[in-house]
Amino acid sequence: MTVTETVEEGLFQTENPIHELNRMLVRYDLTPNQAKVYLFLSKIGVKTASEISKALKIPRTETYHLLSTLQQKGVIFSVFGKPTKFNAVGLEESLEILLNNEKNRINELDAGKASLIKLWNIIPKYGENEDTVQDNKFQSLQGRNSILVKLEQMIKESKENILVLGTEADFKRFYFTEFTELLNKTKSELRILTDHTPDTPHIFESVSSKKVKKIEDKNREDFCFIIKDDSEVIFFISNNKVKDTLAVWTDSQAFVTTLRSLFSLMWKKSHHIDETDAESLLGSEITYEHRLREIEQEKMILSYLQENFKILETGDNKK
Amino acid sequence: MSKTDKLKNSQKEELKNLDILIIDDNEQITKMLTTFLELKEHKCTIANDGKEGLSIIKEKRHDVVLLDLAMPEFDGYSVIKDLEENNELKDHKIIVFTASTITQEELDELVTRGVTSYILKPIDIDILHSKLIEIANL
Repeated sequence: MTVTETVEEGLFQTENPIHELNRMLVRYDLTPNQAKVYLFLSKIGVKTASEISKALKIPRTETYHLLSTLQQKGVIFSVFGKPTKFNAVGLEESLEILLNNEKNRINELDAGKASLIKLWNIIPKYGENEDTVQDNKFQSLQGRNSILVKLEQMIKESKENILVLGTEADFKRFYFTEFTELLNKTKSELRILTDHTPDTPHIFESVSSKKVKKIEDKNREDFCFIIKDDSEVIFFISNNKVKDTLAVWTDSQAFVTTLRSLFSLMWKKSHHIDETDAESLLGSEITYEHRLREIEQEKMILSYLQENFKILETGDNKK
Repeated sequence: MSKTDKLKNSQKEELKNLDILIIDDNEQITKMLTTFLELKEHKCTIANDGKEGLSIIKEKRHDVVLLDLAMPEFDGYSVIKDLEENNELKDHKIIVFTASTITQEELDELVTRGVTSYILKPIDIDILHSKLIEIANL
């Protein structure tokens, strides 16, 4: 084995940034082995299928299949000759191609939605009627995306109120998604309970500070739920960053009411994020300025009354 | 003076002695304001929280209701919301009487929803009195 071959193998066999890149490319609809072949060609340059198979320790038949798929996706190309050699399109261009492929797929799915529903409605329903199923519904949601879709749906449909309890880490996970944008735009009454760090104002910069309070209980790091209109809730079961996030959606009144009561209790005990400690001492709803104005009002009434009673007393004395 | 003028004047006379409901959690203000308004020969009813105030509003119609916004638990906004939901907000002369930091936009929105007027604390007590008379006679 030559030195170059050793480097080629080592680069793709040990733990290094290539593996991180590999994991990231999988999110762009490449399989781990497709990503591996693509990155190999990107970094090493023109190679035959046989050389790729040998360096990456992937069976030759599978290598041919992978190369064919990657060519179809448009991220590698073949160089004419015997044997055929392959090379990769630049990473930036490839990402653009993969992204557009995904966008087109979504557009096609979206376009097909109406026909699918139309077809579905043509087929008569043979089972029990929908209105006879009144049981509490539970839906398990695994992974950021499926949770995000449900959250967005809940916020869009909300007509009364949205109550959110979660740490900043939870919110950061959904930052730059439609979820935070929808939260900012919602016309429902919004209340957010979260822990407080210097990042908080940045995360909630578009949300009125009156709607955000800081959680006093620091033991609630893994506690996160969102209630919509007192009728639906999503609560996170596994809120671990390393593992895939797991949440449960339910419209069970027992669950919703319990979490609603918990939220109300915590809301009452907590203070707005822009309050100083002195203001907090005066009560969560009452600011320092507010109290000053009240005192000023008390003084005004009092001085009027004092003045008035003096006049009355003087009048009585004269008599 | 014609009979109609006499009748109008007598009606105006009646509305000088107002039946006022004060909903405010600040007991100092409610007590002193009551003393002041009683000196001016008005009748006052006090509620120190929103829930109590709402039940008094529903029991009896007052000439004017002075409503504080920031109160613990059931605040002034909740009182307005409840009346609004039951289509009763416009049946009462509700004057928001608040020391809260509130924007003009928010105040205008309250008026659009059906609140009669607003008075921001602190206010000169004589001006408050004239405003009460003026609004009650609207």
